[in-house]
Amino acid sequence: MIMSRVIPTTVGSYPRPPWFREYLRKVEGLQKEGGGGIDEATYAKAVAEVIREQRDAGVRVFTDGQLLWHDLLCHLATKIDGFEMNGLVRYFDNNLYYRIPKVKAKLERKRNIIVDEFRVAYSIEREIKAVLSCFTLAALSEDKFYGNKTDLVMDIAHIMNQEAKELVKKGAKYIQIDEPSLLYAEKEDLSIMKDAIEVIRRGVDAKFFLVTYFRDAERIFPEVLDFNVDVIGLDFVEGYEKNLNLLREFGVDKEIQAGIVDGRTTKMEDKEQVRRRVEAINEIVNGETLYVSPNTGLEFLPYSKASEKLKILCRSVGDINE
Amino acid sequence: MNRRLLPTTVVGSYPKPNWLRRLIREYEKGEISDKVMRRAYDDAVKAVVKEQELAGVDILWDGEMRRDEMTSYFARRIEGFTIYGEVRVWGNNYYPKPAIVDELRYKDELAVSDYKFLRKITDREIKVPITGPYTLVDWSFNEYYRTREEAVYALAEVINQELRRLVDEGANYIQIDDPAVPTHPEEIEVAKNSIEIVTRGVNAYIGMHMCYGDYSKIYPEILEFDVDQIDLEFANRGFKDVEIFKEYEFTKDLGFGCVDVHTRRIESVEEIKDNIRKAFSIVEPKRVYVDPDCGLKLLPSEVAFEKLRNMCQAARELREDLEG
Ligand SMILES: [Zn+2]
Repeated sequence: MIMSRVIPTTVGSYPRPPWFREYLRKVEGLQKEGGGGIDEATYAKAVAEVIREQRDAGVRVFTDGQLLWHDLLCHLATKIDGFEMNGLVRYFDNNLYYRIPKVKAKLERKRNIIVDEFRVAYSIEREIKAVLSCFTLAALSEDKFYGNKTDLVMDIAHIMNQEAKELVKKGAKYIQIDEPSLLYAEKEDLSIMKDAIEVIRRGVDAKFFLVTYFRDAERIFPEVLDFNVDVIGLDFVEGYEKNLNLLREFGVDKEIQAGIVDGRTTKMEDKEQVRRRVEAINEIVNGETLYVSPNTGLEFLPYSKASEKLKILCRSVGDINE
Repeated sequence: MNRRLLPTTVVGSYPKPNWLRRLIREYEKGEISDKVMRRAYDDAVKAVVKEQELAGVDILWDGEMRRDEMTSYFARRIEGFTIYGEVRVWGNNYYPKPAIVDELRYKDELAVSDYKFLRKITDREIKVPITGPYTLVDWSFNEYYRTREEAVYALAEVINQELRRLVDEGANYIQIDDPAVPTHPEEIEVAKNSIEIVTRGVNAYIGMHMCYGDYSKIYPEILEFDVDQIDLEFANRGFKDVEIFKEYEFTKDLGFGCVDVHTRRIESVEEIKDNIRKAFSIVEPKRVYVDPDCGLKLLPSEVAFEKLRNMCQAARELREDLEG
């Protein structure tokens, strides 16, 4: 049997280095949505630090840690015309809150969304995944304009397509679409998202990741297998058995990003168990690469625990490739 | 408990005076001694108690001058917890999130000395608020116990010891702050069992404060909790939730959050009277306790004082109307 090459990666967020957390608190205050007044050199220093943390742990495909993102939604929504930000609500089952974006007018991209951040990260490290979102942004927003989900998702998809093109111009090889809400979606949402991905990819020469987390992927199988993406990210912490069975039952001709250590607890996994689980997944999938990662972004952890978690991940799989 | 009609109370916290904040910062930098800091806290409590008395509050607490935060403050005083660092709640707001790394055991008292100090400086009735085990566990990492449930029950035993000590010292009104309970309706049984452990053998009037989540998902189940009073926020939600509680007979006393702590606007006496009357559609007036939605610590202290004063005046006028 030919085994896939196992490559450790991260999902997206990384806890802000404590000094940078204090810096942001000072320049942005406690209430604002963020963005303005941040010194680029200071930001670049923080990004370099979290990329170094990832590299030292053994990660090979990186994220910039989303250090300016206050949550998955508002960072995208505040840069898109037509959104307004509203009150706080709980982010899935986490003790983490986000501001609800409200759609008040036709959504349009009039400026870069994450391109400037990507440029900073890319100057430090080439193997960077740029993270965007489409369906989840639509699903967790309050729509006061479109009145139907398809139009809303499609307009966001067009915006993400423009952004992705710009990212590729700046060097991006990997585009990741984060879609936790897809795991709570209805069947008709899946066909909307399938079309949306075609729109996002159009004319974009990059490897596409569709990443899900917070629960098992039962609701998106087998439909997700027809999505035009190269890698599907699944949460093997919350849904190990179920996701394994889904892969067995339906087979998969795409690469997998397996969220294999728990990004939401400071409890450290047993390395042997992680290794066995990765091997079990590796036996089922047959892509060239099997990406392994924490199941979620790491911002749920205190700073010092994030790198410890990544070390567990990387050391567990360290000898699989040999 | 035999109290006058519509007793007024607070949920717990009160704005810290600016001079105290400055001293705390200096203390953290090691610039002032423990002894000076302790005296500063005592003085702050005296000032805050006086303000509550002037506002007309019947049942008061020390404003939580000594508590920085409602999770880590307790976690630092209970064996088995450690704190690795801060974790985000939203935006630029973080809290030191505790982790359970060993068996949870009673170490230091949590509120006994605060209670004893307060007893010396006021004749008013006292309510002692303490964070509930369910919420403490929900807001912590669990590295030690096999399940969340086990952790909750172990912590409930610790809190129970503290409550017994408080009662031994004379405390007769304890409030369990459990805002995490309505955010996990699927674990309502665990929360209920935890309260049973917490209150076992505790001979005092017990209230339970909850201010997040969807109340409709835990009602009427919360009526089965082993407490005398349920205290909820209503003002922040525009009193829409009153409807939820009309559906079944409300069999506890009701702590009725009638003043919004999330806005600096000072509600008028008339407005607050109207607000309180809404509680009477849930329970008869003699079962109603009047208080703000939640702790007042995020408000400027003048605003906190005005809100409390108007609230107490509103209760007084309604009381006179009702007693005829
Ligand atoms: Zn509260």
